[in-house]
Amino acid sequence: MLTVENLTISFRTDEGRITPVQDVGFSVAEGRTLGIVGESGSGKSVSTKALMRLLPGNAEIGREARMRYTSKSGEDIAIEALKPGSRALRRLRGGEIGMIFQEPMASFSPVYTIGNQIMETVRLHRGLNGTAARDLAVEMLTKVGISNPGARVDQYPHELSGGMRQRAMIALALSAGPRLLIADEPTTALDVTIQAQVLDLMRDLQRDLGMGMIFITHDLGVIAHVADDVAVMYLGTIVETGTAREVLKSPAHPYTRGLIKAIPRLDRLDARLEAVPGDIPSPSARPTGCPFHTRCAEAIAGLCERVTPPEVRLAQGRRVRCHLHDETRAVA
Amino acid sequence: MARFLIERLFGMIVTLFLVSIMVFFIMELPPGDYAERYAFRKYSGTGITMTEADVQAIRAELGLDAPAITRYLDWMGGIVLNGDFGPAYAFDTSVNNIIGDKVWLTLGLLFATLIVTYVISIPVGIYAAVRRGGLADYGLTIFSYLGLALPNFLLALVMLYFANLWFGASIGGLFSPQYAEAPWSAAKFWDLVKHLWLPAAVLAWSAMAYQIQTVRATMSDELGKLSVMAARARGVPEARLLLKYPARLAINPVVSTIGFDVNRIFSELPIVAVVLGLTELGDLLLKSYLDLDMNVAGAILLLLTVVIVVMNFVSDLLLAWLDPRIRLGG
Repeated sequence: MLTVENLTISFRTDEGRITPVQDVGFSVAEGRTLGIVGESGSGKSVSTKALMRLLPGNAEIGREARMRYTSKSGEDIAIEALKPGSRALRRLRGGEIGMIFQEPMASFSPVYTIGNQIMETVRLHRGLNGTAARDLAVEMLTKVGISNPGARVDQYPHELSGGMRQRAMIALALSAGPRLLIADEPTTALDVTIQAQVLDLMRDLQRDLGMGMIFITHDLGVIAHVADDVAVMYLGTIVETGTAREVLKSPAHPYTRGLIKAIPRLDRLDARLEAVPGDIPSPSARPTGCPFHTRCAEAIAGLCERVTPPEVRLAQGRRVRCHLHDETRAVA
Repeated sequence: MARFLIERLFGMIVTLFLVSIMVFFIMELPPGDYAERYAFRKYSGTGITMTEADVQAIRAELGLDAPAITRYLDWMGGIVLNGDFGPAYAFDTSVNNIIGDKVWLTLGLLFATLIVTYVISIPVGIYAAVRRGGLADYGLTIFSYLGLALPNFLLALVMLYFANLWFGASIGGLFSPQYAEAPWSAAKFWDLVKHLWLPAAVLAWSAMAYQIQTVRATMSDELGKLSVMAARARGVPEARLLLKYPARLAINPVVSTIGFDVNRIFSELPIVAVVLGLTELGDLLLKSYLDLDMNVAGAILLLLTVVIVVMNFVSDLLLAWLDPRIRLGG
């Protein structure tokens, strides 16, 4: 339902041009969840904002970028070609693709009730008014497990707890009836116990509604919990993709391996955590060759710092960008 | 909301009571009283010697000999119960007669100024924030610096000159000569409006410059909020989105400073009034002080402070309406 190819995003800044996303491609199938993992600054949020055309004015999407989305009515939409402010773009935002952000408090406007903001969305995308819109808002709040939804609907965001707010935010995004849901670190700001509840809720809703979902996180544990497929991002490129199961079981890229080793595990409390050494370089000082070679323990001297690794196809539809897996190199 | 309203209303009444005591205290401050001034006026140069007993008799006749507390209660009682501000000694008539029309004209000028200020500065500030870094934005910044730097009596003179050049002679004052003494009519009102815009523009100038910058700054902050992007991600049309989400919060600091603006307009009014030849209260206030005609001075002070207190109350209510977190105590 969504295919992204050759997505490059750059920003004009006072310090010159930076390119936080370079030649990224991924796809989401109906009813499946794509998890995008990466450290902060790896370009995962920026890429999904491009899908909604929500990038700030100083951002530029590269000419070769292709973002193809199949709408509810079966129409193919070229997202990169939609005109700003057009009806088609407004219908895409919310109505076709819904978005949930990291900070539930900040994503609601504090001066309108939860219900007001849900009903606005319902009016815009479902053409319902008055009592019908209100009934749907209450129904959505019920669906996301908010107790006493008839009263909550008239409350302001600051009157709800953090977990409730994120549930309400999910209700708000779903009330427009999207076919694809983008969740940008939706559980990062929540307590661990609430996190699990919200993750379960999102997984169940996705299953019930048959939506596609893009789940952005820096937490591989979350990926294991919700994602069918995973794309690991490092410094604006996708270094490894595959099914979540396969990638977590046998990671192919040294960076993915590093991330997995860095997950704290209760059954190995005595072992020290192995962090990925070094810091993520700034996008304005992008290393040449493989972006990860500065932190890679398995880097091949004379090659990795000079030549950008090609995308290598592995078994079961997995792909990795790493010279270690490039068999043509071994031959040459 | 009802509770919030009652609390603020109660607060306003207490403030008004304290203000009335302060005004009365100020009325008592100048040395001497109108009895002495009256005796001096009437008999100086006539060769008649006034004794302390004669002055005391005049004082008793005017009711100025009673203790302060009695006079305060009399004064307040008349105002609260009958809307009667007492006699204006120097004019041999009542204060109500002296200040009557001028109060309405001053209030008219005040509201005209406030309306001009907000009707221009709010939309312009919002526009500048949305088009930040554009040509219009830079132009407005220059205008704002000019607005803040120019003293407004100078501005009044300059505008008077150009208004005279472009619109003909009768631009000073609040009425054309043929309407000045005429009874109120639609034509007279229209004449007032034609004269009001110039002083209103002069008085609004610096506040406008200031408020444009305030709205621009808060609007810029609000535009960067996640809630704005979240609303955009729900497909809310841009114009409606700007008005519903960031603009509503961006006008908060403007609304909360209505009281300051009223205060500032009152302080700037007398000098602008002198330049533009307006009849308003400031001039009368000064004269009544010189005459020790304290009922007139007190009435004017009281009215001005009451207007400021009431406008602060209005600003509180508007704020609570704009931001539910205030009325819900969140």
